[in-house]
Amino acid sequence: MSAMWRIAREEWRLWARSRVVLLAGLIIAVLIVVTSVLTALRVTAEAERRADRQASAEATFFAQPDRHPHRMVHYGHYAFRTPPPLAAFDPGVDAVTGQSIFLEGHRQNTAMFADTRAGADLGGCAALTPANIYQLLLPLLLIVIGHGVVLRERESGTLAVLLAQGQSGRAIAGGKALALAGIAGVFLLPLAGLALFTAARAEASQASAAAALVAGYGLYLAVWCALVLAVSLWVRQRSVALGLLVLIWLLVALIVPRVAINTASAMIDAPGKIESDLVMLSQQRKLGDGHNAADPAFDALQKQVLEQYEAQSVEELPINWRGVVAGYSEQKLTAMMNAFAEDRMRREASQSRIVTWFGLASPTLAIGAASRTLAGTDLATHHRFLRESEGLRFDFVQGLNDLHAKALTYADDAARSTDSAAEQRTRVNAASWRLLDAFRFAPDPAEVRAARALLPLMVLLGWLVVLGGAIGAGARRLRP
Amino acid sequence: MNALLREARFLAKDRGAVLWIVLALLLSAAATGFGIAEVREQRQTIAALLAEDAKDRANAISKHDAWGDAAYDAFHLTYAPPSDFAFAALGQRDTAPWLHRVRMLSLESQIHEADTANADFGLIGRFDFAFLAAAVAPLLLILLLHDLRAGERVAGRHDWLVASAGTPRRLWLPRAGVRFGGLALALLVPFWIGAAIEGAGFGAALAASALVVGSLAAWWAIIAVVGRRNASPPALLAALVGIWLMLALLIPAAARAGIEAAVPVPDGAEILMLQRDAVNDAWDKPKAATMTPFLARHPEWRALGTVEKPFEWKWYYAFQQVGDQQAEPIVTAYRQGRLARDRAAGWAALLSPAALTERGLERLAGTDTRAMIAYEDRVRAFHARLRAFHYPLFFRDPPYDPVVLDGLPRYDPAP
Repeated sequence: MSAMWRIAREEWRLWARSRVVLLAGLIIAVLIVVTSVLTALRVTAEAERRADRQASAEATFFAQPDRHPHRMVHYGHYAFRTPPPLAAFDPGVDAVTGQSIFLEGHRQNTAMFADTRAGADLGGCAALTPANIYQLLLPLLLIVIGHGVVLRERESGTLAVLLAQGQSGRAIAGGKALALAGIAGVFLLPLAGLALFTAARAEASQASAAAALVAGYGLYLAVWCALVLAVSLWVRQRSVALGLLVLIWLLVALIVPRVAINTASAMIDAPGKIESDLVMLSQQRKLGDGHNAADPAFDALQKQVLEQYEAQSVEELPINWRGVVAGYSEQKLTAMMNAFAEDRMRREASQSRIVTWFGLASPTLAIGAASRTLAGTDLATHHRFLRESEGLRFDFVQGLNDLHAKALTYADDAARSTDSAAEQRTRVNAASWRLLDAFRFAPDPAEVRAARALLPLMVLLGWLVVLGGAIGAGARRLRP
Repeated sequence: MNALLREARFLAKDRGAVLWIVLALLLSAAATGFGIAEVREQRQTIAALLAEDAKDRANAISKHDAWGDAAYDAFHLTYAPPSDFAFAALGQRDTAPWLHRVRMLSLESQIHEADTANADFGLIGRFDFAFLAAAVAPLLLILLLHDLRAGERVAGRHDWLVASAGTPRRLWLPRAGVRFGGLALALLVPFWIGAAIEGAGFGAALAASALVVGSLAAWWAIIAVVGRRNASPPALLAALVGIWLMLALLIPAAARAGIEAAVPVPDGAEILMLQRDAVNDAWDKPKAATMTPFLARHPEWRALGTVEKPFEWKWYYAFQQVGDQQAEPIVTAYRQGRLARDRAAGWAALLSPAALTERGLERLAGTDTRAMIAYEDRVRAFHARLRAFHYPLFFRDPPYDPVVLDGLPRYDPAP
C-alpha cells in the first residue's frame, strides 16, 4: 500500500512541476467554474421566469370576465416546464424542446419556442454546459496528462529500476491508477460543490439525485483513467499511445453518439405529430364533431341520455344537451389523442433506448443518459411534462364542459348566435374559472430517476470491470 | 512528380497513416449513407402527408354548407422539402419544424407549432457530412501530420534528410501533400458519390468540396507552423489537440453565448399570449373594436364591414387577423432578432474554421437558420393568399358552392 502511495505521490509531484499539465488543468478548471456559474445563473433565472409565467397564466385565466364556458375552453391555458435544480449542471433537452405548451379544447398542441430555434448557429459542438465539460473535455485532459504514466518510466528506463527494486507490476499499476484517480477526484470537486449547493436549496429528495450524479461522473472519470492506464501499460511507444487515445476519444465522445442517433432514427420510425395527427383526423371524423350536437354520431348517446332523464327530446332535458355532447366528444377525442400521443412517445423512448445501448460502445453516451436522467432533464422527463400538462388540459376542459351542460339552458345556448339577450344569459359567472388546477411541473421523484439511470450506470461499471481486467493483465506482464 | 510517387509508396507502408485515411473513408461513407437515408425518409413523409392532407381537406369541406365552417375545418399542409444537397448537412432540420398544417385561424397560433424529431436527436446531433468535415476531419489531419518532422527527429533521420533533400520544401511538401490529398479524397469521394446519387447540383458539390479542402488547408497551415517546433511528437500532438479544442469547440461556444447575451430576442411565449388575449377578448368587445383595425388594413371591405348579428363569420375571421396584427411588433422583433443573431454568428464563424465549414455546408444545403426563416416566410405568404381567397366569400357571402373551393390556393414549396 505504501509503495502505491509513494508511486502516486511521485507522479503528482512530477505533474505539479510540468507547465503543460498545470496550464491544461488550469484552463479546464476555469472553464468548469465559468460555465457552472453562467449555466447556474441562466437556469435559475429561467426557472424563476417560467414559474412567474405559470402563476401569471393562472391569474389571467381567473381574471377572465363572465363568458360562455366554451369560450374559456378555447381561451385555454398555458403549462410551463420549469427546469429542475440540477438542470444548472446538465440542462439536457431543455434547450431543444419547447418550454411552454398551449392547452385548449379538442387539441393537443406541441411544446413551443425551444431555445435552439432562436439560437446563434455555430455548428454542432457550440454548446458548453458543465455536463459537457465533464463528458468531453475532462477525458481529453486525463489523456494528455496521463498517457505517459507508465510509458514515461519505460522510455526513461526507470521502469526497469522500479521492477528491479522488487516492486510488483501490480503495485506500479496501482500507484499510477491512484495518481490518475487523484486528478479525477480533484476535478470532481466543483461538481460535488454544485451538487451540494443545489441539494441544499432544493427539497431533500434532490440530495440523493445529486449524490448519484456525482457518483455517476466519478464512475465515468474512473473509466477514462482506467482506459488511459491500460493503454499506457499495453502500448510500447508514447506517441502511439497518445495517438491511440485521441482516436478513442474521437470515436467515443464525438462519433459513436452521433452514429447512435443516426441508427436509432433509421431503425425506428417515429412519426411526427402532424403525420400521426392526420391519421388520427380520419378516425376522428368518424367520432363526430363536438361543436355540432346534431351530428348523427351522437344518436346513441342521445338515446341513452333521454332515457336516463325520461325525456322525449333534447329540449325537455334538465341539462344542456350541447354541453353533454361537448363533454362526451372531448372525452372520446382525448382517449384517441392520448393513444396516438402515447404511441409517439413510446417510439421516441425506444429510439432513445437504442441510443443508450450504444453506451456499450461509448461511455460518453452512457454518462450522458445517466446524467440527464438524474438531473431530470432527459427525454422521459419531457414526456412526463407532456402527459401532466395533458392531464391539466383535460381536467379544466371537462370542468368547463360540465358547466356548459349544467349552468345554461339548451334554448339559450341554441339561440345565442342570433339573439343578444340569450347570448347574455349563456355567460357564466367568472368565479367559476377557479376550477382550473394550479400546475407546477416537477420531474419524477429521485428514486424513479435513479432507477431509470441504473442501466447506463451499469454499462459504465461494465466498462470499468473490463478495463480493470486489462490493467490487471497488463500489470502482470509488465517488463521493462 | 517522382517525389509524390515516392511519398505515396511511403504512405502505403505507414500503417498508422493508412489507418487514419481508411477511417476517414469509412466515416464519410457512413455519414453520406445515413444522410441520404434520412433525406429520403423526409421526402416520403412529405409525399404521404400531401396525399392524406388533400383527402382530409376534401372530407372537411364536403361536410359543410357555409364558407366560414369550411374554412374553419380545412387545413393546408405547408412544408420545406429537403434540398438535393441536404443529405450532407441536415442542420436545423432536427430542431426547427419543416412541416405545418395551417388554416384560416390566426396564424401566430399555428406557425410556432414545433413538429420536431426526438429531442435527443437535436441535443446530441446527427453524424452528417458537415459534422465530419467541420469537426472530425481536422482532428484526423492532426493525427496524420503532427509528427512528420518530429517523427524523423525521434528516428534520428531529420537532419540527414533535410541536408540531402536540398531545400526542406522539396522534402516536407510532397510528404504532407500526399497525406493531405489522401485524407481529402477519402472524405470527398463518398460525398461526391452521394451528391451524384442525390442529383445535387454540380456547383453546390464543387463549392462544398472547395470549402472542405479550404478549411482543411487552414488546419494544415496551423499544423505546419506548430510542427516546426523542436518538440517530441506527443507534446506536439497535445498542443495541436488543444488548438483544435479551442477552434472547434470553445470559440464557437463562447461566441454563441456572447451573441445570445448581446442580441436579445423577445420571449416567444409572449407572442402567443398577446395573440391569444387579442383573439379571445374580441368576443366580449364591441364589434367595432375588431372591425376598425381590420378595415384599416383592408379598406376594400369597408362597404361590407358592418356586423349586425352577435356572430358572423366575417367578424370571426377578422378578429383572427386582428389578433395577428396586434402581435406583429413582437413577431417582427422575434424574426429580426433571430436573423441578427444568425448574422452575428456568421461573423463569429470567421474565428473558427469548424463553425465556418459547418455553416457554409448548411447554407449550401438550405438547412441553416436563414433557410428555416425563409420557410416561415413562405408559410406566412401562403396564409396571406388563403385570406385573400376567403375574404370575398365571407364579406360578399355568395350562396355556398363547394366547387369554388377547388380554386383554393395551393402551397408552393419552391423557394
